[in-house]
Amino acid sequence: MEASAASKPAGRLAGLGLRLAYDRRVVVPDLSVEIPDGGFTIIVGPNACGKSTLLKALSRTLKPEAGTVLLEGAPIDSYRSKAVARQLAMLPQSPIAPESITVRDLVARGRYPHQGLLRQWSAADERAVTGALESTASMELADRYVAELSGGQRQRVWIAMVLAQQADLLLLDEPTTFLDIAHQYEVLELCSRLHAEGRTLVAVLHDLNQAARYATNLVVMKEGRIVAEGDPREVLTAALVEEVFGLPCVIIPDPEAGTPLVVPKVPA
Amino acid sequence: MSATTLRLGGWLSLPVRRRSVVVGGALAAGIVVIALLSLTLGRLGIAPADLMPAILGHSTGPDAIVFEVLRGPRLVVGIAAGAAFGVSGALFQTVTRNPLGSPDVIGLTSGASAGAAAFGLLWTGILPLPVGALVGALAAMALVWLGTGRGFSSPARMLLVGIGVSAMSLAFVQYAITRVGVEQATVLASFLNGSLASRTWGHAALIWVSVVVLLPCALLTTRRLQLMEMGDEQADALGARSAPARSWAVLIAIGLATAAVSVAGPVAFIALTAPQIARRLTRSAGPNLVLSALMGAFLLTLADLLTQQSPFAVQLPVGVLTAVIGGIYLGYLLVAQWKKGTV
Ligand SMILES: Nc1ncnc2c1ncn2[C@@H]1O[C@H](COP(=O)(O)OP(=O)(O)O)[C@@H](O)[C@H]1O
Ligand SMILES: [Mg+2]
Repeated sequence: MEASAASKPAGRLAGLGLRLAYDRRVVVPDLSVEIPDGGFTIIVGPNACGKSTLLKALSRTLKPEAGTVLLEGAPIDSYRSKAVARQLAMLPQSPIAPESITVRDLVARGRYPHQGLLRQWSAADERAVTGALESTASMELADRYVAELSGGQRQRVWIAMVLAQQADLLLLDEPTTFLDIAHQYEVLELCSRLHAEGRTLVAVLHDLNQAARYATNLVVMKEGRIVAEGDPREVLTAALVEEVFGLPCVIIPDPEAGTPLVVPKVPA
Repeated sequence: MSATTLRLGGWLSLPVRRRSVVVGGALAAGIVVIALLSLTLGRLGIAPADLMPAILGHSTGPDAIVFEVLRGPRLVVGIAAGAAFGVSGALFQTVTRNPLGSPDVIGLTSGASAGAAAFGLLWTGILPLPVGALVGALAAMALVWLGTGRGFSSPARMLLVGIGVSAMSLAFVQYAITRVGVEQATVLASFLNGSLASRTWGHAALIWVSVVVLLPCALLTTRRLQLMEMGDEQADALGARSAPARSWAVLIAIGLATAAVSVAGPVAFIALTAPQIARRLTRSAGPNLVLSALMGAFLLTLADLLTQQSPFAVQLPVGVLTAVIGGIYLGYLLVAQWKKGTV
């Protein structure tokens, strides 16, 4: 599919007319989305509505049945796979930690797209790994085995691996799931800092209030479609939450951040 | 950090773990010691002083026969077959992300037994035994490929179908033995257990060429396999294209295991245990291909030395010994995985 100059999306990453399926079971029939440059896009929606599927398509780990993903205005599969990985990093919903691997070795694996067959380790690799460990406050974990870490530490280390990739676009699938509330906010603050430093972030979250607080662009999905998108202050309404999640609620301003706060109604 | 970087000019820089180098060196030394022992020990052993002439082909008389016919080929085949089993197991385990993934569990070695039984007992005279084993192994892998419904792309299905194919193959072996009667079946007994007795330099050439060609191919996929340990999606996201890497790794693993099975018979459990022991000794992730090769060679030649020289196991097929050791290890592994809930 050829995007004409007039309709070319402004964002660096966009999906046009995507049809996504597993073994011909269509999960997303026809979806277009544009990821604003420099924004923090958060995708919300009920379980199994296709959020992870969309992220896989945007990161080229799932090939669309129809439609195109555009990276820097060109179809994403016109790039070499390592070239894509240098621009776009993705953390899947449930990454698997290899047996007996240290934190530093795991983070170092994020350098793969920058390395060649014979040049497998350079000073730049070393700097990137150190930098990633530092910005996720995991330096003191470097020589520990990943299997020994707590859930919160482990999530920081996975994010460090993605950071070592040094891509400007970060896609994170449910980075806060399975963490207690303090560690959830720790990860979100880390994301928000990465965003403030200039990276473009896309994350799938389950908590609408966290999404409303951190997103600059909220994407609400239901059954493989985007129902609403934009500034969370405008998008997140009681009617929308009821329509998408079937949850009657009222929306009040978050007393701390001023963003919308979803308060479920007590069933009559 | 426990890794240093091997550099050569500006174009080569490889991270090397010190611990892996130490373990690898120790294993290589161990193999040399086993080789020396297996040539010199016992009633027919070559005296140490006569060893060099015998190896260089300068000796005549009994030493020449011991080296050229009895022990030399056996040792040389054992080293390469052990290495091939070890690498094959490491590849299968990485690709299936399961320590049970190995040519033993996945049906390849049982398929080889079935092939040997088919062409050695039922339809004799069509194919030589090793070729029959090769055909059986490949047929079993074709069945696994078809049986999963999606080729080798799903590790869990591959293991389950493989176990099924394995059971079918062993049933076929039993059927063949019952058909021809136990007396005739004894000709096959030592092959079915896996044995290094009466190997020739022809066997040695076959297995060494396979290892020398396929091991470097396997090494080229190592880095992508390492990333696939984190899941195919994560590997793809890092630009490592997991699907072709998986196909390559499986094909190489099948090639190595079939070559090993056709020269040594379906020796049990070397492929299963060698990579696991290597991983535990080096305490490192990744397929550890070179160390798995060394460990496989070490284990197989050690087991064969024991069958030749120990009073308890004299002249047993080496596969019986590895089956006993490997069986115990497999039990341990299953219990450990059961406790972790990851069978
Ligand atoms: N690898 C897969 N194979 C087949 N079906 C899948 C696969 N991954 C997800 N699905 C199905 O696709 C649908 C959407 O899944 P997903 O995108 O993971 O949802 P979400 O992330 O929004 O919870 C679900 O019905 C799920 O069962
Ligand atoms: Mg999901």
